[in-house]
Amino acid sequence: MTGVSDERAIWLGRHVLPHEPALRNWLRHRRLGGLDIDDIIQETYARLVAAESVAHVHDPKSYAFQIAGSVVIDHLRRLKVVSISQLPDLDYLEVVSDAPSPERQVIDRDELMRLADMIARLPGKVREVFTLRRVYGLSQREVAEKLGLAESTVEKHMAKGFLIMLELFQHGGKELSQPSNPTPAKLRTRIFDVTKDRPSD
Amino acid sequence: MSQKTAHQIDTEAADWAARIDRAPLAGEQEQQFHAWLAEDVRCVGAYARMRAFALTTERARALGPDFDPAAFGASVSLFPRRRLLQAGGAIAATALIGVGAAWQILRQRGRFTTGKGETKVVALKDGSVVTLNTSSEIQVSYSEDLRSVELIRGEALFDVAKNRARPFVVAAGDTSVRVVGTSFSVRRIDTAPIQVLVREGVVEVFKPAQDTKPVRISANSMAVAQTDNTAAITAMPIPAVQMHRQMAWQSGQIAFEGETLAQAAAEFARYSDTKIVIDDPALAREEIAGLFKATDPIGFAQTIALSLNAHARIGEGEVRLAR
Repeated sequence: MTGVSDERAIWLGRHVLPHEPALRNWLRHRRLGGLDIDDIIQETYARLVAAESVAHVHDPKSYAFQIAGSVVIDHLRRLKVVSISQLPDLDYLEVVSDAPSPERQVIDRDELMRLADMIARLPGKVREVFTLRRVYGLSQREVAEKLGLAESTVEKHMAKGFLIMLELFQHGGKELSQPSNPTPAKLRTRIFDVTKDRPSD
Repeated sequence: MSQKTAHQIDTEAADWAARIDRAPLAGEQEQQFHAWLAEDVRCVGAYARMRAFALTTERARALGPDFDPAAFGASVSLFPRRRLLQAGGAIAATALIGVGAAWQILRQRGRFTTGKGETKVVALKDGSVVTLNTSSEIQVSYSEDLRSVELIRGEALFDVAKNRARPFVVAAGDTSVRVVGTSFSVRRIDTAPIQVLVREGVVEVFKPAQDTKPVRISANSMAVAQTDNTAAITAMPIPAVQMHRQMAWQSGQIAFEGETLAQAAAEFARYSDTKIVIDDPALAREEIAGLFKATDPIGFAQTIALSLNAHARIGEGEVRLAR
């Protein structure tokens, strides 16, 4: 058992996680034979981890949708008694593929603002710990020293932070895979634009 | 299959992700981790997802050392609140948002700064946008009936969203500028007079501590307020060309039109630590014109040297101009 490599986790974070709200939404409209969406999601990630290589995946969104679809079908097959009408419609092929677009960079900045927003929504101590660790880059030990907390407490706050933020993300991040209302998005994304895009020699 | 719910597994996955975020696993902990992963295929998936998310949040470093989550607040409402409430009960986060949102809607506080040669655009939650020029600092304090920004130092351009019920006031030292909705810049450098340039709309410049009438200035005009505790505020129209020049910094440029080389060197010093030193007093008095990149004093010095028949010598942290 090798666990999960960071390389694969980074790939998942970059290519699959952003589509999770859309995937959940898609599952919500399927017949799932009593399966819980959260279970399907977890099993989908498990299969994405088990795949030997993801180098051949050109369209991770469709790929993730297909895997989720097959998780559901396998489950229905195991049930055996399922009537044919309960089989999910295989309409995951309709998933619009996300070719890299000029908007991509804008969306990335948008995601950064979402991240900031999620951090801002964490409860007091969790937010403080999370900001020191993730925004200011202190180690958990340094955070513990700075705040006069036990390291195990800092760890618990981090766990809570991950859990709350991922929950916020999966339910609220529906627009993540598509550019939102252009005007406010433009304002938001300009915040960190200028210093980065300053012309250099 | 295990009896665990997806939520239990997610919670355990978050615990493991946080532990691994603290330090790499070793020995007994590592064995426990693998035993846990082996319990249920969903554990592997839940952990992969949580780890993926945990690594994604490392991008938060890009928010920079000035990021203050309390000030960020709900400056932009990214998550439709109703949807979150519908999602309901799954986690304490829902309740938390109910409590936290109340003050975030009404107030926004935050400090924004730029370093030398840096400009920054800050979008405020009412739709107003502040562009900070080099070496500048503002403090934003929004309340229910007032949008207040203090220019602590430097220069900032304000594009103010219209809201009659909630005036926008910029304070620079003892001088204040009050508007409803417009575009103007305020400049506060050392002890030089405060300079207000109005690009669109009408603003009122006043000194809250002095008992004088506010001075109204409209588009394409400028107000200059002395900083020596007098009430002196003078207003004058300025040609569109000059307005354009004065705003060149917005696109990272400095425009000169008849300034002396000494004045130009001082202007570049606002944007860069590389000093322009002029060894020859006659050269320092030469008048120059042109549009230059604000963060490139060396390029400027070399260009000027060519046109003034001088030469530029680059040393550590400086460029010297001489004939």
